[in-house]
Amino acid sequence: MYRKITMAAAVTAVAALALAGCSGTSTTTPSATLDNSPVKLTMSAWNLAATPTNEFKALADAFTAEHPNVTIELKDYDAAKYPTLVTADLAAGTATDLITIKTVVDVVPWAEGGQLADVSDVKIGDGVKGGASYNVDGKQYAIPYRLDGNVIYYNKDLFKAAGVADPDGTWTWDDYVAAAEKLKTGLAAAGSKALPAYQHGWNTLTQNFATVQTGNDVLKGDFSYMKPYYERTLKMQADGLQLPLATVTANKTTYQAQFGKQSAAMEIMGTWYVSTLVAQQAKGDADKFAWGIAPAPQKDAAATKAPVTFGDPTGIAINAKLEGNKLAAAKAFLAFIESEKGASKLAAMAITPAFINDAVTAAYFGLAGVPTDDLSKKAWSGQKILPQNLPNAKQPVANTALVAMHSAILTGSGDIDKAIADAQAQFKNSAG
Amino acid sequence: MSATEPAVVRQGEPESVKQGLDDIAQHVPSPGTGRGARSAGRGIARAFGYLVLIVAAIGLLIPFFWTISSALKPANDVFTVPVQWLPQTWKFDNFIDVWTKVDLLTWFRNTLLLAVVVTILQVLTGSLAAYGFARMKFRGRDALFIGYIATIAVPWQSYMITQFILVSKMGLANTLWAIILLQAFSAFGVFLMKQYYETIPEELSEAARIDGLSEYGIWRRIMLPLSTPAIASLVLLTFVTVWNDYLGPLIYLRNPDLWTIQLGLQTLVSNQFEADYGLMFAGLVVSMIPIAIVFVAGQKYFIEGIATSGMKG
Amino acid sequence: MTAIATDASVSSMPPAHRRGSKLRRRNTLIGWSFILPNFLGFALLTLIPVLALFYLGFTNWNIFGTAKWTGLANFQRLIGDTTFHTALINTFYYALIHIPLSFVAALGLALLLNTKIRGAAFFRTAAFFPYITSIVAIAVVWNLLFSPQYGPINEFLRFIGIANPPGWLQSQEWAMPATAIVSTWRDMGYYMILFLAGLQAVPRELHEAARMDGAGVWQRFWNVTMPCLRPTTFFVTVMLTINSFKVFDLILVMTGGGPGNATLVLSQFIYNQGFEQNNFGYASAASIVLFFICLLVTIGQFLINKKRSA
Repeated sequence: MYRKITMAAAVTAVAALALAGCSGTSTTTPSATLDNSPVKLTMSAWNLAATPTNEFKALADAFTAEHPNVTIELKDYDAAKYPTLVTADLAAGTATDLITIKTVVDVVPWAEGGQLADVSDVKIGDGVKGGASYNVDGKQYAIPYRLDGNVIYYNKDLFKAAGVADPDGTWTWDDYVAAAEKLKTGLAAAGSKALPAYQHGWNTLTQNFATVQTGNDVLKGDFSYMKPYYERTLKMQADGLQLPLATVTANKTTYQAQFGKQSAAMEIMGTWYVSTLVAQQAKGDADKFAWGIAPAPQKDAAATKAPVTFGDPTGIAINAKLEGNKLAAAKAFLAFIESEKGASKLAAMAITPAFINDAVTAAYFGLAGVPTDDLSKKAWSGQKILPQNLPNAKQPVANTALVAMHSAILTGSGDIDKAIADAQAQFKNSAG
Repeated sequence: MSATEPAVVRQGEPESVKQGLDDIAQHVPSPGTGRGARSAGRGIARAFGYLVLIVAAIGLLIPFFWTISSALKPANDVFTVPVQWLPQTWKFDNFIDVWTKVDLLTWFRNTLLLAVVVTILQVLTGSLAAYGFARMKFRGRDALFIGYIATIAVPWQSYMITQFILVSKMGLANTLWAIILLQAFSAFGVFLMKQYYETIPEELSEAARIDGLSEYGIWRRIMLPLSTPAIASLVLLTFVTVWNDYLGPLIYLRNPDLWTIQLGLQTLVSNQFEADYGLMFAGLVVSMIPIAIVFVAGQKYFIEGIATSGMKG
Repeated sequence: MTAIATDASVSSMPPAHRRGSKLRRRNTLIGWSFILPNFLGFALLTLIPVLALFYLGFTNWNIFGTAKWTGLANFQRLIGDTTFHTALINTFYYALIHIPLSFVAALGLALLLNTKIRGAAFFRTAAFFPYITSIVAIAVVWNLLFSPQYGPINEFLRFIGIANPPGWLQSQEWAMPATAIVSTWRDMGYYMILFLAGLQAVPRELHEAARMDGAGVWQRFWNVTMPCLRPTTFFVTVMLTINSFKVFDLILVMTGGGPGNATLVLSQFIYNQGFEQNNFGYASAASIVLFFICLLVTIGQFLINKKRSA
């Protein structure tokens, strides 16, 4: 972990040095070069049709309110196949001016392919998290505007019914399992059919906790440190504390239904789920129950003092074709999305911004339906969020091998050591 | 059941089961006149046959049943443990919402337009080319034909980007033309029609040639009418392919006004934050209706081949 | 074959026989005039990108940069790539189950349902329904049927005395056969349609004549139906082969390639290499391999078909 932090810090430092010339302290500097002639920018986004109120429109509108000469037109993409579609558009030369970065791993091919403008001169403000994820070879290619870390969602009503104490922010993974065991008996005694926990099918939910909490780096090609984390997950499956991965895959269970319909008393998920859950409870798609969020379980008691979790930012990049006033306007927009103003707009929609201060926190927790206890606040902004993916061409290669490893171990069809060895071999073979 | 002796028994075939097999082996409609005149044993065998078929039909239709059931569920009740066969809360609203909340009508119109145009073009150009491959003898014909088929073997994902660049340069990306061009000239239709033409006796064409009919005339007057079953199956399969295509429209049609049904419905669930599976399945059920209509209306054409009646001698 | 032979003899003939060569040229022209409308669209939208793919397979193209010629490097890498080997073996395994199963099932259905018996229309429709049912629904329901503990399939197997039935989609040994079975179930209606169309071309008179000669059901099936059905059989076999080697969607939704890499197939390997790992040159090389596998099988089938119908 420490190694990675130092690396990130070093990278940031190099970047900072490289653009020592153009740093203001706290303002949206590049707008200095932006004149007042009308500018129209296009921006890639997703699922606009399904969600009339969305973060993209909120950011674009707020920016236009400040710079009336700049209008930003959103272009709708399919969310699931977003990277493929943008890749196709970039290749055909028909991509938008502003390119939203949905998944960190796309930055490397797009940047190395000369498709993204170097935005190192848009200074990443103090307290803005996730910027390093867009730093390729010392150059900044996008600016983050939201960053969701993983937290524990827990159902206060079910905990109470089972007579189990709520999380208190000091949970290790062993405490998490112990609580699940107590929940199992408590829930059964209370006549509830809910399972203690739900773990969604993503490989990251076992693997990346192992990676960030033990300070490892998957790109080194040694995955053996994940074994204790897998043993714990296997134990939880075997003891009936959570659905086995086989069932999760077969029944295509969703994390919204599992927690929202009270099939599980707790669930580890990104903070993006807060706004969904609030909306679903208001609409009646989810049951009405009291809930809260807590920091992710840690590897040992000492680590709970400064909890570490993982998550990737969402950011915006600029098409390399842009120049002149358009480029200046685009950079001004990038500076806006990471600013307190942009962050407050997002927080007021129950989105977790990349920049958080007291005002942003107030905007977020002022929303109806968002849990306001201190532990929830701590979970929201008090965890260290380390990257889920690194801006490195080898990351997707590792991911392919790791996804296969996850199903090999958790469907119970192979032993852990063999699956890890296979995945390591696959990674080594493909990454060269 | 009347006591009249069935015609088949008179021909010396005692078992009713055997008659059933005969029907199958013969591929001809069983004579309608015999229907009222079957023995009791025949009835039992037939009842047993139907029982088997009903069980088989259930096996074929369970996932479809689950689709309908899911279309009547709230979003969070679709994927559950254990699987719910019937909705716990019935949500009939999905079938209304799918028309009012999302633009299903536009998607329907686009898809229908694409399916009809592509099908017409595919059948027309495919049967023409098939005639060239089946009946005209010229150098390089077989090699060209194998080349045609072999391109089917290249997975689309591996050349979809180059194709997209090409179509974009032609200025056709994000238009319905892109999908029409993409689907209308597939080698599949050529192959299907060519194979069918080979079953039509050459003598028919020869006779027509002697009567002074040109090659185009032979194609139009003899081959087309005689290949009704093949055309019917090509129409059906092309229609279904275009109707259910997702990846093609996904890559080429970015403007929501141009979306097809599959693409539009998929956007309802492609964003994990607000995936409305109930609504999507309602849309899917609705989208299957036109296919069912095409199938039911079209199947008599590939069952009652005119080919047989045309081939005397 | 005959066509080629004739061509060769005609072209070597002395000028006195110009009439023949003129006829031949005329034939070629007419032949091309039939093919051209389809060929133009095909060449522009399919052939050109496919030819480009054949070039890109020898480069390190990653979509944006220029494609640098790397000769056989991609193919050498494929030879040493164990994941590619896994995908290749899995694909063959799948094809080996899926092709014969689907062929028999589709032909059986077509023979069974090629009658006017009341209800046949319904069953024809029902048999085609799996092909048009959402694959997500198919995946959920079949996963349930295959469930190792509670699935009806294993309950039945235990009932007939098999103590340890397979784990199906959740075991590395059985995931591929299970997927191939579901895939057969889904595709058989599609190929049934093709067979049904082909069956209409079998002259009824031939059956009558064979019956008069005292031929039994099987004899007529082998000696009348199958020979008349040969062009259709060829078509279905080739399409089945190609589609089996290209299988992608259903497996992705059912297993995602897992558990482990147990159901990783070539198309998914190609997709991963191209769109996830951004090695389009390498992905193209893998596509070329897939292309040649299908081509070899197709040529083999083509030659057998020619020989039989000669």
